[in-house]
Order: sequence, then structure tokens, then C-alpha cells
Amino acid sequence: MGESAVFRIASLRKSFGPIQVLRGVDLELHAGEVTVLMGANGAGKSTLVKIVSGVYRLDGGSMTLAGQSFEPVTPAEAMRSGVVTVHQNINDGVVSALDVATNLTLDRLNGAGAKFFFSRRQVRREARAVAERMGLDIDLRADIVDLSLADRQMVSIARAMAHEPKVMILDEPTSSLSASEASRLFELIDRLRARGVAILYISHRMSDIRRVADRIVSLRDGAIAGLFEEKPLDYEGAVEAMLGRRIGRTSVAVKEGSRPVFAAEDLQIAPGARPFGLSLAAGEVVAVTGLVGVGKTALAETLFGIRQPLSGRMRLGGAEYRPKTPAEAIRSGVFLVAKDRADSGIVPEFNIYENMSLPFLKRLSHLGIMRRRAERRLARRQIEGLKIVCRNERDDMSMLSGGNQQKVMVARWLSYPADLLILDEPFQGVDIAARHDIAAKLRASAGERATLLFLTELDEALETADRILVMSEHTIIGEHRNADIDMDRLLAEVAGRDLAGAA
Amino acid sequence: MDATAGKDKEKSVLDGGARKTGMNMRDLAIRYGFLTLLVGLIVFFSFFTRGFASPQAAVFILQSVSITGILALGVTATLVVGGFDLSIGSIATSAMMAAAYVMVVMEQNALVAVIACLAIGAIVGLINGLIICYMRVPDLLATLGMMFLLIGLQRIPTEGRSIAAGMTLPDGSTAPGQFSASFLALGRHRFDFFLPNLVPASVVVLIVLAILIWFFLEYTRFGRMMYAVGSNARAAEFAGAPVKAYKIWAYVISGIFASIGGILLAARLGRGDIASGNNLLLDAVAAALIGFAVLGAAKPNAFGTAIGALFVGVLLQGLTMMNVPYYTQDFVKGAVLMIALMFTFALSARNAR
Amino acid sequence: MNFNRRILGKLAIGLLGASMLGQGAAMAQDRPAPFDKPEEVEIALVRYLSTGDFFQAYLSGVEAQAKALGVNLRVLDSRQDAALQADMVDQAIALGVDGIIIQHGLTESMKAAAQRAVDAGIKVVAFDVNVENEAIPQIEQSDRDLARLALEQAIKDNGESWKAAYVYVAGIAPLDRRDETWREFKEKYPGIEEVAQFGTLDNPIANSVANQARSVLTANPDIQVVFAPYDEFAKGVKIAVDEAGMSDAIKIYSADISTADISAMREPGSAWAATAATNPAVVGEVSVRALALLLAGEDPGRSVIVPPTLITQAELNEQDIKNMEELGQKLPQFAHADVVVPDWMPLPPRD
Repeated sequence: MGESAVFRIASLRKSFGPIQVLRGVDLELHAGEVTVLMGANGAGKSTLVKIVSGVYRLDGGSMTLAGQSFEPVTPAEAMRSGVVTVHQNINDGVVSALDVATNLTLDRLNGAGAKFFFSRRQVRREARAVAERMGLDIDLRADIVDLSLADRQMVSIARAMAHEPKVMILDEPTSSLSASEASRLFELIDRLRARGVAILYISHRMSDIRRVADRIVSLRDGAIAGLFEEKPLDYEGAVEAMLGRRIGRTSVAVKEGSRPVFAAEDLQIAPGARPFGLSLAAGEVVAVTGLVGVGKTALAETLFGIRQPLSGRMRLGGAEYRPKTPAEAIRSGVFLVAKDRADSGIVPEFNIYENMSLPFLKRLSHLGIMRRRAERRLARRQIEGLKIVCRNERDDMSMLSGGNQQKVMVARWLSYPADLLILDEPFQGVDIAARHDIAAKLRASAGERATLLFLTELDEALETADRILVMSEHTIIGEHRNADIDMDRLLAEVAGRDLAGAA
Repeated sequence: MDATAGKDKEKSVLDGGARKTGMNMRDLAIRYGFLTLLVGLIVFFSFFTRGFASPQAAVFILQSVSITGILALGVTATLVVGGFDLSIGSIATSAMMAAAYVMVVMEQNALVAVIACLAIGAIVGLINGLIICYMRVPDLLATLGMMFLLIGLQRIPTEGRSIAAGMTLPDGSTAPGQFSASFLALGRHRFDFFLPNLVPASVVVLIVLAILIWFFLEYTRFGRMMYAVGSNARAAEFAGAPVKAYKIWAYVISGIFASIGGILLAARLGRGDIASGNNLLLDAVAAALIGFAVLGAAKPNAFGTAIGALFVGVLLQGLTMMNVPYYTQDFVKGAVLMIALMFTFALSARNAR
Repeated sequence: MNFNRRILGKLAIGLLGASMLGQGAAMAQDRPAPFDKPEEVEIALVRYLSTGDFFQAYLSGVEAQAKALGVNLRVLDSRQDAALQADMVDQAIALGVDGIIIQHGLTESMKAAAQRAVDAGIKVVAFDVNVENEAIPQIEQSDRDLARLALEQAIKDNGESWKAAYVYVAGIAPLDRRDETWREFKEKYPGIEEVAQFGTLDNPIANSVANQARSVLTANPDIQVVFAPYDEFAKGVKIAVDEAGMSDAIKIYSADISTADISAMREPGSAWAATAATNPAVVGEVSVRALALLLAGEDPGRSVIVPPTLITQAELNEQDIKNMEELGQKLPQFAHADVVVPDWMPLPPRD
């Protein structure tokens, strides 16, 4: 393969305010090679992509494309220079109101030399040429809305190819595709590789990575943590570099659960996924870990009644448990601190105490009238218990830092005793001090309930859990007691090794 | 992902900084600016207009805004859950026509007329809510469609005629019934309040409904949940709220309030007038939006809505008493609304986020 | 309103019976062409405004007279869409109608369309819209006369000097014409002092006007006369006067009338003293008759004016008139206008 790099990034730096997101990234892309970029949430992948594709400007460092300095100011400029990006959100890449042919030639309609009127026949001719070159087998007259997600993705990639790019960035292109759709995408990627395009492929899915990667680069905390080029590629090593391995830094006094609280049998949460069982006991803190997109949130939402399992049974405290709505789950004593607090947790117009009391208004009211005094008393107790930094319980949520906002969310669901408390990525966008406070509080209050955490970061799981379960491909594939962990096996499971043969 | 997390942090840092410096003056302006303006206006008109500073004037200003005020309180409920109801004006005029039809054509008494109107309001609100929640029609479009539907529907029973006692019916006969005296009293009766015959029934209805909806929204768990639904529906759902039910209820409240407005309108006019009610709609929406600016709430609220309606009433009646031509009134209304919206969106720290 | 409906029903049955006996045809033969064979004549009514009692009644008048003549009537309604109204004239031309009545509309949009109809050999009359065409007679209810009658009554009741409030919204053609008369009166009688002017068309109009009138009356408690030359205005003023408890001190003079207006005028102690009105149904009849004259080759004149009638509260009470139907019966000058009535013209039945 080509030894000389087509595209080179050297000591790239980028900050947002006081937060340094990229701290000196070096990266090379070679013609006709697929370089996979791995990185956990917050590692800086998106920022990197946005700088390369001209959305953000870099603060320091340099980028060169085929020996020339490359510093795009707009996405259009990056595209003209030969660096095209296919974004994660498939619908961003296509105009759904138009047909396939127009989409394939869309960028020409906007260029400087574009004619005011366009001839339908010419559009179709050009589109056919593009489609043939890419081996695309889609009806050019079809409207985008009638296409499957995979076909839309193909159109959006083929459209990007119309620019004859030197570098193509694919940002989690399979995140919404099925396995068979993904394999069509991989064939397309093979063709691109054969045409000598340098590809940067961003993904969490180990099966994808095994299929397409020529090289793997692991990004962690805004810097390159590992480069793997020697065949056979060291996938476990790459995962380890991405997640970091600071084992033994904090150790947890592991407790055994007392009586069983929750049990699931033959649970299937995605089409084609292997059914699995799950049992949780009172007093224990269990963490489910796994890469992004392996079904952790789907499982959390299934337990909380937001989505229904495809098959299987659940039991809670000995009784059948099959919640249809979050309201039912809450009534049964199952609480969820949802992922993305801004999106699905915080009520921005409410202050701290109003946010905390939200699920328990019935208990905090009398004949429908709110007992504000009781509400505020409860909030003050929780503020103290979780060391929330604020002036008082009437502060607006917007005045709080991310960590304190998250504490309010956790405090909300600790206000009343639960049988099963689920927390989905509770440490996202939370500083270390707040993370320790929350983890400590969770462990200290774990007493009579089962606590289930969903965590992508292995460190976080190791710091907080008594038991660690590993998820991959929408099923649970491994279980570890957090006392004498076989790290190699754990990492291999996260990397999806025992499924590699099956997939 | 990483970038947005970074920006969140940056913003909360900035917010903290802004709060410490120069917040007091601005906060005062946001909280009390509009109320001060209202008091200033009243003082101005009292000095420059004969007869403005009298209990009678106070009462008729309230009376002039009572119907739009009631509609505005209803639309506030839909604004609270993050919706909007464009059909209130035509619900009111449909209720007016229904009241007239029930009494004049069907010869029923006042109670039946009132119940028929309230039922119409509740049913229309329910249909609005169901269409919006279950058919996924955007609120503005669903209620716009309902508006047209009602404007047309109210003409069908009488083939486009207004309804008055002694009217000729489509079949050529004369309508047998008439407006019952107790129904007309809803629009014309005056209660003694320090002075004899001072406060009209419609003003009493306005005040009672304003207090009711204010208490409901501010002090009950249902009101709290409605605000949660409007502010972050997903979070409310994850906190166990039946989001759709709350939204539907909001439209039912809005429909019932609009029909109460229609009852008072019928009682005041003493007949059923064909009208689109669009002016009622616009004035009501303006009052509710002006309410955002009151006390720096930056969100729909019943107290603000009542003050907003009062503000418009004081301004328009004051200008009319000063003999200012009618065409300046819409201009003035628009100007007040623009100022209120600027108060809300530019000055308010909450919305600066 | 629409007090001719029941009569119409009877008439229809009568006509049916008549044609069965072959009597209708015999009668029709006495008339000038083309009305000797009226069933072959088709006329179109192209409307700009249609909702509201006035326009309903106008239509019923047109229908009644068309039926009396035995001609076919086609109603095209543009619902306040000026462009559509012009298209509808073209549509009527394409349909090959013999005559067109243009009811309201905008001069700008109707002028060319009306000319096209005339060029196509179609006879055209226009009601309440000036299409600036020599060949097209104008049917008018005289707004100036309306205002004059009401104001003369006000002078009669109150003498030549009083303080007045005036309800007016500029830019509406009939109101503008009524306004001219008001100005003339103020010049002629310098004792009339206009202390306040207000008005709005926000609907429901009566409700909005009532709100304004309350303010005006509070600011000017010495007002004696309110001139409200449109019945919706008058209705609103009356509500405000009642609410202010000033019914004894104020008299309202207006234009137009409806059943609801009659009951409002007849309420005990009502301040609404008099109104001047043209019967819209009569205007409708006259429109058709003027068109018929043109079709028969006669000349109805450049403009056809339907005279208004003064209706006072006293008259209504004396004759115990409760609705429009009784108004027509008891005030014949209101029910009929002897305008455009050549000998051969069949008229809708009168009672």
C-alpha cells in the first residue's frame, strides 16, 4: 500500500473556552487504505471530524493534503479541495424531497459554474455515470423518501464520490444500518479503497472494524493513544488504548447482593439478537458496559417501559413485570436516570426543587395541591446529601455546572426508595469530583434496592460496581465480579471477540 | 458530542459571570418593568383624560377585556403545554351562535343554552387535542383547520343568517323563541360593589376564571406537570407523566374557556352574530404573549395573561377616551406586543441561554 | 330577514300549477322579446360579498324577481376574491348567458371584465360597484339619502344644535358616501358639535364598538346624539349606552335595519331613535328588473336609485312591528319600490 501519506495532521489543537478538546493530534491517512478511528464519548472524534471537514477552525497545528497546506474555512471549501465527509445522520447527506438522480448531482447545481436552468435529461445522464462508477444499483427516478436507510447512505456516499475526493471521512456510517445493509456498504468501501481513496472510518462497532480496517488509531482524551498497523491487527489492544487502563487505582469494597429483586429470562431486545437472562439482587450495584451502540440504552429503556422487549419475561419482586409506560415502571418501583439529561431529564423552565420532585408530585401534594414546603424540604435534604453546589433549592438549572445538574437528576430519583434504580450513562459530561460524589452516594444508598448502571467507560464501571456485565450486539456476553477481574477477558468481550466467529 | 459538552460548560461559566455583574438593574427591569409601565399608563390617562380615574372607568376597562381575557386565559393553558390554539376565536363565536340557536330556535332556557355552549367548547377542545396527539397534526395546523371548520359550521343551521328573536327561518317560518332574561343577565347584570350596580357579571366571571386557572397552574400538581410537558415533554414522560393526556386536557380547557367567552358575548349582544372571531383570537393571543413579560416570567402564565389583557384594555380605552382614531389602535397593540416580546426574549436571562 | 321565502315557496307551487295549465305561456306572450320565451333566458349574478343578512336578503330579492319573470338564474359567488370575481364574469360569458348582474366588487378588477361582457353582446348591470362603463346602468341604494333621512329626523327630534358623537370607519364606500352627508349637515347646522369620532370593524363589530363607545361616553358625558350610520355600529353604541345607564340622555340615529335591530329599537327606554334603510330584497328585485329592461331593448337610465325609508322607534311601537316580515307588511314603502316597473313587467307577489 502507499507509504506516503495523502493527508497529514500534525499536533492539531482545539479548545472550547477553557476546555481543551484536542491536545496535539497527529494522524496520517494513506491512499487506498481504510484508517479506523476509535474513541470513547468525549475523546474528541467529532471535533476532529468537524475541523477536517471545515466546520470548525483549528487553534494550533497543521493539516496538509497531498503536500499542500489544507485549512478549510467552510465545508464547501473542504469538499472542493478533495476532502469529503459523510455524516453520521444519514438524512443530512441527502435531500429527501428530491429524487436519486438529482441528489447524485446536487452539488453541481450549487457550484460557481452551475447553470440557472438544469436539464432533467442531463442530470439523469450524469447521475447514471456516477451510479455506474460506484456500482450503485438503485432506481435513479426513485424519491429519496422511498429508499431504505442503507440506500440513502449509498446515495449520500456516491454523491460525495462525484467530487473525485482524495480523502473520504465516514462518521459512524453503520450506526443505523442492519447487518445485511452494512455488508453492502462494506462492498462500496472496498471499491472506494480500490480507487485509491484514503478513508477515515469512525466507528465503535467491532464487527465493522474487523471487516474494513487496514489500520486502527485510538483516540483518548484528545490525543492519540495508540496506532495499530501490523497485521494481524491487535483489536484488543486498540480497545484498551481507547478505554484506557488504569486498573487498581480505585478499588471497590465488593458486596454481594442479598435477596433477588429483578430477574429477566430469554430477553430479546433487538431483531436477530441472542436472548439473554439478567438477575439483580438487593444491595448490589451492577454495571453493564460495552461500546456505544451495543444496546445498553435499549436495555435500559426496556426495563423502564419506554420500549417493549421482542420476547422474554421479566419479574420484579416475584411478580410479573411488563411495563408499557414509564409511569407504570415508576409505580412498580423501577426508576431511570436517563441518558442525555438535557434531552430527557432536565425541565429547563423548572428550578432545582421542581426538577427533583417531578416524578413524585402525587406523593408531594394533597388533594392535587402541591405541598411546596415538603417539596423544598426534600430538595434541601437531597442537595445536602449529594453535595450539590448551589445558592438554594430555588436556583435555576441553567446556573448549575454539568456535574451539579447531573446530581440533581440523580437526586430526583433518590428522593423516594426504589426497588430497581437504573442509571444510563450517569457520568456523561460530569467532572471527576461530581462523579465520585454520585458513585459514593449510589453505593451508600444501595441498601434495599438493586442498582443497575449502564456505562461505556470501563473505568467508571470498575470504580462503582460490584458486578460488571458486558454487552455486545444487543446481548449480554460476559459477567465479572469486580474483585478479581480477568482484564484480558473483559477487554476481549468488549471488543466482541467471542462473537467474531459468529458474525 | 465532546464539543457540545465543552460548550455547555463554557456557557454555564459565562452565565455565572453575567449574573454577578450588573444583574440587579437588569433583573429589576425584567421583573417589574411591565408593571411599572402599566401603572405609568394609568397615571398618564388619569391626568390627561376626563373621567378615566373613576371606579366606573376601571370597571368598563375590565369589561372591555373580559371576553378576550377569558379566551387568553384558555390559550395560556395550551401555551403552557407547548401548544397553541388558533380555534378559540371561532369556538367563541360558534358558542355564541349555539346559545342563540338553542334559545331562539329550539326555545330552550338559559341553563340548556349554557350547557350546550360548554359542551361545544369541551368537544371541540377534545377533538383538537386528539388530532394533535394521535394524528400527529402540528398544533397550529390542526387548530387552523378547526377554525375554518367552525366558521363554516356556525352558518349551516341558519343558512348563513344571524340569529335574533323573531328572525325568519330558512323554511320561511318565524323563530318562536327568544333570549331568556336570565341568560341576558350574564352579560348585563351588575353586582353592587361599594357603588350600586357597578360590576358587570362578565367581569366577575373573568376574575373568577383568572384566579381559578392561576391557582390550577401554579399550585396543583396537574398545573406543574403541564408546565413540565411544555418545557421538556420527553423528561415529563420519563418522569411518569401521561404527556398526551395533559396536552389533550389543555385543549379542552382552552375550548371550554373560549365557549364561556362566547356565552358572555351572546349575552352582551343579545343575538347570534355571524363572525369569524379572528379579532378575538388575535387580541387573546396578544394578551397571553404580553403576559410572558410580566414579572420576568418568560413563560406562559395566568397572572401575566390577566395583566396583559388589562394592559391592552387600559391602553385602548384610554386612547379612545382621548379621541385617538381607531386605526392607531392596532398599531398600538402591535407595538405593545413587540415591546413585550423584546422584554421576554432579549432581556430575560433565562431565555438568553 | 329574507321574508320572501315563504311567499316564494307558494309562488313556486303556483308557477308549477300555472305552467301545467299552459297559462304561463299564454301570459308570457304579451311581453316583449326575449321574455315571450323566458325559459330560454339565462342571467347570472356575480357576487363579491355574500355572507351576512344584507346579502342574503339581496339574493332572495334577485331570486324572487327572476322567478316572477320565469328566467333562469345562475349565482356565481367569489367570496370576496376580486380576481375570482373577474374570472367568474368570463365564465358567465363562456356559458353564454344573456345578462349579468355584478354585485359589489372592486372597480379596478371589474372594469375590464365588465367591458369584455359588453363586447360579447351581454347586457350588464352593476350594483354598488362603479365599473366606469356607459353601457352599464348602476343600481344604487342611495347612501346619501339614507344619511339625510336619519339626520333630518335627528334635527326634528333634537333641534339644530347638539353635541354629537360620530361612528365612522374610512375607506368603506357606502360609509364614505354617508360621511359626505354628515359633513354637509355639520356645515349647514353649525350648532352641531362633533365632540368625538370613533369606530372599528373588528368583529364581532357590535362588541368592539360597544367597548369604544363606553370610553367615549365616559370621557364625554354631555353627548346628546350619536350618529352611527351602520346598524352594527348602532347596536354597539346602544349596548354601551345601556351599560353606562345613559339611555335617557342620548339618542342614536343609524342606517340599515334587521330583525335584531327592530327588537333593539323597541326595547323599553331604548336610545335608538330612528334608522333609515333600503330593503335589500327590493334592491335585488330592482337589479333584475333593470337588467330585464336592457334585455328587452329599453333603457333603464344611467343610474337606478332605490329610495330609502325612514323607520322610527315610534312607528315600530305604534304598529307593533316585531320583525322584517311585519315591517314589510305594515310599511309598504319599505316592502316595495316602484322603480323600473314598465307595464309588462311581472312582479313578485305583494301582500
